[in-house]
Amino acid sequence: MQLGRRSLLILILFLAVVSILIPAPAAAHAILLESSPPLNGTIKGPDVPIKLRFNVRIDASRSRLTLVRPDGSAQPLVIGKPASPDTLSAQASSLPAGDYRLRWQVLASDGHITRGEIPFTVTPS
Amino acid sequence: MARLLQIFGFLSVLFRGATLTFQSLTVGGIVFLIFVLRRAKEDSAALEQASLRWIRRSAIALAVMQISYVLANSLILMQSAEISLREAAGANFVVAGAIGFFSAMAIVILTGAQGSRSHVALLIPATAIIASSVMTSHAMARLEYRVPLVAFTALHQAATATWLGGLPHLLIAIRRAPSPDFARRLSARFSQLALISVAVLASAGFVLGFAYVGSLKAVYGTSYGAMVATKALLFGLLLFLGALNFQLVRRGPSSTILASLKRFGEAEIGIGITVILTAASLTSLPPAVDLTRDRVTGSEIFTRVAPRPPRLGSPAIQDLPEDVYAAQSRAFEHGSLSAESFVPGQAGTRPNTPAEKAWSEYNHHWAGIIVLAIGLLALVAQAGRVSWARNWPLIFLGLALFLFLRSDPEVWPLGPNGFWVTFADPEVLLHRIFVLLVIGLAAFEWRVQTGRVASTGVRLVFPLLIAISGALLLTHSHTLGNIKEEVLAELSHIPLAILAVMAGWSRWLELRLPPENQTRAVMARLWPLCILLIGAALLNYREM
Repeated sequence: MQLGRRSLLILILFLAVVSILIPAPAAAHAILLESSPPLNGTIKGPDVPIKLRFNVRIDASRSRLTLVRPDGSAQPLVIGKPASPDTLSAQASSLPAGDYRLRWQVLASDGHITRGEIPFTVTPS
Repeated sequence: MARLLQIFGFLSVLFRGATLTFQSLTVGGIVFLIFVLRRAKEDSAALEQASLRWIRRSAIALAVMQISYVLANSLILMQSAEISLREAAGANFVVAGAIGFFSAMAIVILTGAQGSRSHVALLIPATAIIASSVMTSHAMARLEYRVPLVAFTALHQAATATWLGGLPHLLIAIRRAPSPDFARRLSARFSQLALISVAVLASAGFVLGFAYVGSLKAVYGTSYGAMVATKALLFGLLLFLGALNFQLVRRGPSSTILASLKRFGEAEIGIGITVILTAASLTSLPPAVDLTRDRVTGSEIFTRVAPRPPRLGSPAIQDLPEDVYAAQSRAFEHGSLSAESFVPGQAGTRPNTPAEKAWSEYNHHWAGIIVLAIGLLALVAQAGRVSWARNWPLIFLGLALFLFLRSDPEVWPLGPNGFWVTFADPEVLLHRIFVLLVIGLAAFEWRVQTGRVASTGVRLVFPLLIAISGALLLTHSHTLGNIKEEVLAELSHIPLAILAVMAGWSRWLELRLPPENQTRAVMARLWPLCILLIGAALLNYREM
């Protein structure tokens, strides 16, 4: 018996269909392990140091940190030189007391982006 | 904007899966050519040309997929991080993609060169392709033990490509071999290479599994751990088929073994591709060692799987929450639904309401009853005593209608969203493709079972579709966080997927193995049994 042309075609079709239909492959997505300020935490103002640690190395120069103020306005934060390849750090200054949200977006080594949000409260010093 | 990212996100995932498949075929082909075909010590110029042609085709497909993947991902990055093309171009994934692309193109050029006698030079771009793949792996992103993890990942991927990627090239060579004896010698050589590859990939896989999973509790407590266990199980199935092949090559006479050898090889390729895609899906998950909180415990799994009567009554559609698409896109525009990490373009992580869970359980349980009926009738039909039982594939039409109506209650015909939403949301689109697959399954297999067609191609549609469904279930989207409900749902899907893969390939072998092969009779009983077990597992599916 020979592997006929049709069978071969079906095998190739199978490869193609499976490759095309599969939803998921990607690699090394970053997840947030810890943060300062912590999730739903309270921190004294007006100057708040920000540090986020992830489970993998991240591309800090292509990552973003944005602070959403109590009035809803968004302020991009300047990302500082990272202390280690898995961290992002920045400084938020002159923050009045209130509820804030820190939005983060990081690029992992495979080009996949993950993002999230950390709500926190600033109290007067 | 959110919708656009969703589409690009979906596309990048498709390109990535295809890249990994063609990478294995290209590298496996080169290894086969140099270490099996060229060492056969026989005039095999025609075979060499055929092998070179297939390597070139795989490399072209790989280059196209690499460039598409990099483009889709760059667009996502530029849009979501608001950075320029120049900035995006320096990202690690772009560099890795470029290495992969140029290496594939080098293979296209080298395999097209006339009069080349030695093909050893092809090993350089093949090595570069593996390196480009490793550049985007978990190992490169780790902080601890990076160098040994990179080395083990490279070994794991190279061995996988040699074994699974080389198999299709072996089958092509056997088909074109000038004599059965020569084909047998090729198979024997490939078996030796496969044995070494299996040993390398298993050892490297064990080390990587230990590094990324870390403990037995993480095996069942996290999605990552459960997927590693699934991969190991599928690997076991492959080894079983490989062992059957090995026995054939060693013992059987050349004239009779080749047919069986090719058929086992086909099933190995199919299961092998499923393993590669499971591995690809695995890498989208954070390693289990990074997720130490909120793991699922053994008692939680036991509580979930303990048998209970099926849910045969559905909640009213009005009890379901408001339109999930609106909720998802709102959540996306606001950054996130929760503090969990998520991928732009991916659906959010809003927990399901009790009504949604009850809706889903009802769907699974009725689907279970239908599948159980299919399995039972197929078993009866296989026994050959009751002639009307051969019409069992028609029951699939009922399943298709049921899935079409119930799987996405927020979309037409039951929900407020129109028909075209189907094409914009990857999940709904996948469900609709599933419905079409089920209808195709019913139509093709009914004609086969009732003797209306004898064509081999048509007969193979049913096993292929079943096997594809299993592969789809295994690579279904996973969550990034360790959300218990998602892990529990995944744990319940894994046995269904493995049974579907087994059902598909055992039916394939029943149809393809020569009559004198005794394994054929075992396969004929195995696939209806797997379908029966899928029905039983669906009947006990729980979301709460």
